Amino acid sequence: MTTTATADATAPPQFEHLEIQGVKKSFGDTTAIEKIDLSVKKGEFLSLLGPSGCGKTTLLRMIAGFETPTAGHIYLGGKDLVGRPPHKRPVNTVFQSYLLFPHMNIADNIAYGLKQAKVPKPEIAERVREVLALIQMEDFAGRKPEQLSGGQQQRIALARALVNRPQVLLLDEPMSALDRKLREEMQLELKRLHTTLDTTFVFVTHDQDEALAMSDRIVVMYDGVVQQIGSGEDIYANPSNRFVAGFIGKQNFIPVTVTEIDESGATLRSDNSMMRTAHLEAKAATANTAASTTALAKGDRVRAAIRPERMQVTPADDSAGSRPNTAKGTVISSSFLGDVVQYMIRAGTNNELLARVPAAQARLFEHGEDVALSWDEDAVAVFSDD
Amino acid sequence: MTPLRNRLFGAAALSFPTWAYVVFFFVIPVAMVIFFSFGSKPDIYTPVSTEHLSFDRFPEAMTPAFLSTFFATLRISILGTILCLIIALPFAYWIAIKVAPARRGLALALVMVPFWTNFLVRTLGWQIMLSPNGFISNWLMSLGITHDKIDILYTHTAVQIGVVYNYLPLMILPLFVAIDRSGQKLREASYDLGANKVKTFMRVTLPMAMPGVISGCLLVFIPLNGDYVTATVLGGASGSMVGQLIAEQFNAAQNWALGSAMAVVLIASTFIVVGIGFAVLKTGQLITAKANSIPITNGRA
Repeated sequence: MTTTATADATAPPQFEHLEIQGVKKSFGDTTAIEKIDLSVKKGEFLSLLGPSGCGKTTLLRMIAGFETPTAGHIYLGGKDLVGRPPHKRPVNTVFQSYLLFPHMNIADNIAYGLKQAKVPKPEIAERVREVLALIQMEDFAGRKPEQLSGGQQQRIALARALVNRPQVLLLDEPMSALDRKLREEMQLELKRLHTTLDTTFVFVTHDQDEALAMSDRIVVMYDGVVQQIGSGEDIYANPSNRFVAGFIGKQNFIPVTVTEIDESGATLRSDNSMMRTAHLEAKAATANTAASTTALAKGDRVRAAIRPERMQVTPADDSAGSRPNTAKGTVISSSFLGDVVQYMIRAGTNNELLARVPAAQARLFEHGEDVALSWDEDAVAVFSDD
Repeated sequence: MTPLRNRLFGAAALSFPTWAYVVFFFVIPVAMVIFFSFGSKPDIYTPVSTEHLSFDRFPEAMTPAFLSTFFATLRISILGTILCLIIALPFAYWIAIKVAPARRGLALALVMVPFWTNFLVRTLGWQIMLSPNGFISNWLMSLGITHDKIDILYTHTAVQIGVVYNYLPLMILPLFVAIDRSGQKLREASYDLGANKVKTFMRVTLPMAMPGVISGCLLVFIPLNGDYVTATVLGGASGSMVGQLIAEQFNAAQNWALGSAMAVVLIASTFIVVGIGFAVLKTGQLITAKANSIPITNGRA
């Protein structure tokens, strides 16, 4: 049922399950969301990712019904949700701070939504037991929320939402209050539940690792504007602008000047290195600007971006920096991260570059040691400087 | 000095204001009243004698006049508490939830300012308003709601209105605190799970505000039961309360023994009513909990 089966006059047939069209939101003079168009497929795990204040939570709250869009429509299964109060929407939310009802036991907390829907009591009992079994917490039914740990409370909050079989499950940074180990366990649990239940998940997070680990697609947001929508691999490999390039994964940005342009690409020069790229255009800083790319011209100041794991670190050699795609540098710090070694390398006057090399094949360079950096031509991406 | 003795002495010394206040202004006076209630009035010049202790003052206090005033007082207090609760609940809900946070302080101040004004002055104000020539009466007549002057001053009705007015802030404040603490976010969770505003109020806000309801009811009922200023100013001869009868025995009749016996009866009745109130509340909570709960024990629905 990815498209609306019933012919609804207001809903074109190409609609996806959850369709956000031209949604804007401002609070007084402040614009929280500029204008968002977004389609979510049925059964998809979609993450809204961005730094705090980017509008991701506001968007989620508009889907839940706690905020009303200033303009635009939110269609679910072809029906417009805008104007419908939260309690009449077939969506449920898992909140950041769990928000279990402290005066009810766990079973009553989970049963709350079903009671509102006037489900018969024996069925409520059956479904509550079922969902408790699903999260492996059958023994907790009679306890009060305060007797549970944070991680357990969050799983109950998840069960309380899922038991209603929502058409869309909204998750508002549900793991940000948990410690790292619990968070990783919850990620697996959530992924497992998503696979089992085939429910549409819209997941808000500011944690890029979390988004990459769990999502089918990621919506990167910044400043109330969608910067890029795509799979984790796609966004990581082909960031559409400088913000996305820097926000997802680590990135070295090197200020460079375009010194030469020919049909095979451009030559870029920083104060201590020279590099070649096949790109003839610089991508914009963010999606908020009108043009997404600008053609490179000789003399332009732009920024080259190279991922730390595309950097190769080799012992110092004199030709580094004069050959294309190489640079001279000095190790400022090195950290052993288990699977990789991460070096902070000073290259040029005020450029610190990050390089990550597999620990197994690396010879360890020490603090203060001179090294040579090199990278492949296709590792270089070019972004506008403004 | 051992560290333990040191600690105990320190704690006792630091809490001196608290325990001294309770001992000197509560325990000792109440103990004296209870003690005096077993005494007698030996002659017209002595208010109390405790030479021969007996229970005789209690039957002596139970005159038909006392009993009718006593039950009228209970009715005023219980009805007054219920009226305060009915008025204060939406009011506190409004301040805690509907009023913008920036203006909440102002709304609370508007509740508190009259409360800080002298009790007697405020009650005298009601005397003017409720009098047959007062403006309530005049308005009602000019609006055509009544044809005759309303004549409720110096009746139980006037006292009832007066006490509800005087004790209302003591109900609003704890209710406000309790409703405020139940929190916007939990209400959102309730809406999200499909409950409308009424259901959310009944199943989340009100149950979570119960401690506030209880403390509000105690704060209103207990002092109201012993109030005699409101009844003196607005009740006149036909609208008197037990507090007045007790004050009369102490001040006018100079019979402290009889006055103390009446006071003990009043205190005991206050305890009994509060006890019954709690029992009713607990039973109600048990019944609603039973009706609402989904029994989930391993393997059984």
